[in-house]
Amino acid sequence: MGSEQPPQTSEQGQEPSQSFRSQKSMTKAERRELQEKQRATKAAAKASGSTGQANKPATKQPEGGGEKSSGKQSGKQGSGSGQSTQPQNQHQRRASRVSGVGGDITRPGGGPGANIASDLASRSINPRGVRIFSHFGLQHKSGAGKGLIHPAIVRLGLLFSDFQITGANARCLATLIAFKHVIQDYTTPQNNTLSRHLMTHLSAQISHLVAARPMSVTMGNAIRQLKLEISGVDIDLPEQDAKEALCGTIDSYIEERITAADQVIAQSAGLKIKDGDILLTYARSSVVEKALLRAHEEGKSFSVYVVDSRPMLEGKKLLTALSTAGIPCTYLLLPAIGSVIAEVSTVFIGAHSLHSNGAVHSRAGTALVSMMAKQHSIPVVVCCETYKISETVQLDSFTKNELGPLNGIFSTFPISIPRESLATENTTNLEILNPLYDLTPPKNITAVVTEVGIIPPTSIGTIHIALGRQIV
Amino acid sequence: MDFFEDPEDVVKSEFIAVVLAGFGRELQPLTSNHGDEPCPKALLPIGNKPMIDYILAWLEPSGVTDVLLVCPTSHRRSIADHVRSDASASFPSLRIDLQTYGDPQDSSFGTGSILRTFAHRIDRDFVVLPCDFIPPPSLQLLTVLNKFRMESAASGSILTSTWYEAPSQPDKNAGDEWGPHTPLTSIVWDEKTGSLLQVEIPNSLNRNDEEIELKMSLLSMHPRLKLTNRLQDSNVLVCHRSVLELLQKKRKLESLSKGFLPWLCKINHCRSKKEAYKTLLQPYRKMPTLANALKHSTLNEPNTINYKEEDDGKITTNHGPNTRVGLITHKAGDGIAARMNNLYDYLEVNRRFLEQAAQNQAGPPAKGPLIDSKAQISADSSIGQSTRVEERASVKKSVIGRHCVIGKMTKIVGCVILDHCIIEDGAKLEGCILGGSTKVGAKAELSKCVTQAGFEVDTGGNYRNAKLEISDWTTAGAYDDEESDEDEEFEAESEDD
Repeated sequence: MGSEQPPQTSEQGQEPSQSFRSQKSMTKAERRELQEKQRATKAAAKASGSTGQANKPATKQPEGGGEKSSGKQSGKQGSGSGQSTQPQNQHQRRASRVSGVGGDITRPGGGPGANIASDLASRSINPRGVRIFSHFGLQHKSGAGKGLIHPAIVRLGLLFSDFQITGANARCLATLIAFKHVIQDYTTPQNNTLSRHLMTHLSAQISHLVAARPMSVTMGNAIRQLKLEISGVDIDLPEQDAKEALCGTIDSYIEERITAADQVIAQSAGLKIKDGDILLTYARSSVVEKALLRAHEEGKSFSVYVVDSRPMLEGKKLLTALSTAGIPCTYLLLPAIGSVIAEVSTVFIGAHSLHSNGAVHSRAGTALVSMMAKQHSIPVVVCCETYKISETVQLDSFTKNELGPLNGIFSTFPISIPRESLATENTTNLEILNPLYDLTPPKNITAVVTEVGIIPPTSIGTIHIALGRQIV
Repeated sequence: MDFFEDPEDVVKSEFIAVVLAGFGRELQPLTSNHGDEPCPKALLPIGNKPMIDYILAWLEPSGVTDVLLVCPTSHRRSIADHVRSDASASFPSLRIDLQTYGDPQDSSFGTGSILRTFAHRIDRDFVVLPCDFIPPPSLQLLTVLNKFRMESAASGSILTSTWYEAPSQPDKNAGDEWGPHTPLTSIVWDEKTGSLLQVEIPNSLNRNDEEIELKMSLLSMHPRLKLTNRLQDSNVLVCHRSVLELLQKKRKLESLSKGFLPWLCKINHCRSKKEAYKTLLQPYRKMPTLANALKHSTLNEPNTINYKEEDDGKITTNHGPNTRVGLITHKAGDGIAARMNNLYDYLEVNRRFLEQAAQNQAGPPAKGPLIDSKAQISADSSIGQSTRVEERASVKKSVIGRHCVIGKMTKIVGCVILDHCIIEDGAKLEGCILGGSTKVGAKAELSKCVTQAGFEVDTGGNYRNAKLEISDWTTAGAYDDEESDEDEEFEAESEDD
């Protein structure tokens, strides 16, 4: 250590003696740096076997958008070991990168191969990665499933994590149907009541589903309603009757708030579609699809621009569905929207959830579409059932989001392209982030079509009065 | 007092494993009786661990707890002893239920018939496992189970099979000394959806082996197909319980892999045939399915068939009940899988096990106390406990069982020697499989032989490419002639004249 030191600051010369200073005399940042160095040393020693060079951590911490920054402001880089742990501002970060490279090249012994090995080792042991979106956590598949998890829930979890069932409506429907299975197979244990024990039983199943994929607002609202019903079950009711009653409420919830609501929405949205209209929609929403198909069946003639984006390319499926029905469609990717937006008469989008401040949480890319439409003074209509309304207020798309899976699970690339040339995995110097949702602010939305009426986005809070319920 | 009920009972476990320990006819004479005692195929060791242990170890982490182990009546005691012995303390979570099926020696009890017999014990979805499949370490049973779970929930498919790529084709020049190699099966499959579309059984009666027939309905449903004969069936099948009902209906299908599976693939794209079995496949009408949810899913393939009314007023919607057979393939590059169907595979797998063990070990294996220091044992051999190896014996690339005695100056190359064998001085063994308690006399030379348990090779005997069986003392020579007439390959019998 200290054999080659690209001269950075005068403090650099104190590097070799740093280890001999007591920890008390170092600043907090220097202590942190020492700790990082020791950690990287250990990793390098582990990775490169026993190369005997204990101080050869050639760690270049991933220089992503947000890096762990300490309060250190001085130019101490610790790059004698090629480390650039605490970059403070751009200038020093760049300098440290250069020094890191320089350090690597001029390192004696070991050679570049060992450097790369320890480099990769340290990178792979750094679980934090890029800071942005790091609070969403990593997806991990749960194991074989503990004995408590009902097989229907296990299968549903697999379908969720494999992205075979996607979309807010679809996931809520699938969850409710799986819960019907669970309730029908449930028996109350001794010395317990159905209303209390079933709640705990269901909570275990719910946490298994959440581990597979974070819960959607629709699932949350439906489960909350179900739990309300369960707690209200009469204690004297025989078990089979109680179970049938619960399944009945699940059925009526599906019927009222999803199926019938969709029909009403399709009808109301159809009023906004006139002959000769050019409509634009983004990705694939089950409600918008139903509305368009119904308007076509009523005999209106219109054409649709389907805007789509990777990685999911859901618009392709919508394109298939609409073209099969005979609607003239045009398909384009999101970056091309600027060329067609001027000709559009109305934009229809779906939603994952609506927030109390009127913001729409929807597939990533929707915000762009609505912003473009707003700029060109084109009305943006959101089709959304009332059970998607969430009590929370959301102001940006960073606090609550979900990262999509990496490994090419959507298989949207043609087979003729060799898989190695696609960026489907994290490699050195590249980390892939796929946020699945984004937030459209209320100022970009013209109207929200729900089953209780067509309302402006700012009056979402009044819906529960219209529905006559205590909670939505 | 509050007795807390066992939470495991609240939810019934999802799968039951059915392990079929067959007779092992193809592995004769290894599996022939040793005197009066049978040598079950399931207990033949691979690298000194019985075959069945590998399957049970594979089951252990997958979350399947109930195991129904089916074996012939004559093998019941040996297998029961093994299962309840200390060796099986390594499977604490498995509850093994041993059942037997009565067998005359040579009745054709196919796997299908066995399932029919025990259908009353199988009340949920089940996994069929053969006892002779060695799973590769990179393939977990959980993967196969998950694929079945997903397909069963999403599209109602009722069976998932597992196929593995055989590591290499048997050399054309490889000897036929022990009987024919397993013939290759051609299958047609779709890689994108992972479904098995057609299975061609070789040597079946009403087929021309040089042609493969593909129906147009199959091609229109799956325009991208793969036809291969490099994949072999592992006989690991995950089935929905309605498979049992289908089996009851088709009593003529004896074997699961050679009869039922091809039939199921065939009717999958023939809608009229499927209608006949519709009631069997959808008995649980009241249970809600995920079909509605899937229709709402944004990544769901929309139905591209325009709904038109048929002439008789019925609207065609779906392709009828779903009998899609899922398929999991395992590439050879990810790890070697094998089935112990015949003697060549048995030898081969043992050899591969030795290679892996040699890789895992750093240096030469620790020598047991009874092994003479002057014996030359190569690093890629495996010697069982309490085996005595005398000086100047040379052992290379071989697996030697427990309690054996290897005499002086013996040369053992590429052999598999089971327990309790005695090999006297100066013997030379090459590429042989010796059954338990075989005695090889001094200075005997055996090359590529298989011996039955308890066989005795006389001093100076010289056998090549032979299956050595103990002939019955009491019968006359006529019986022996009959036997050799039946079998097509050359058999050498030992007769002390």
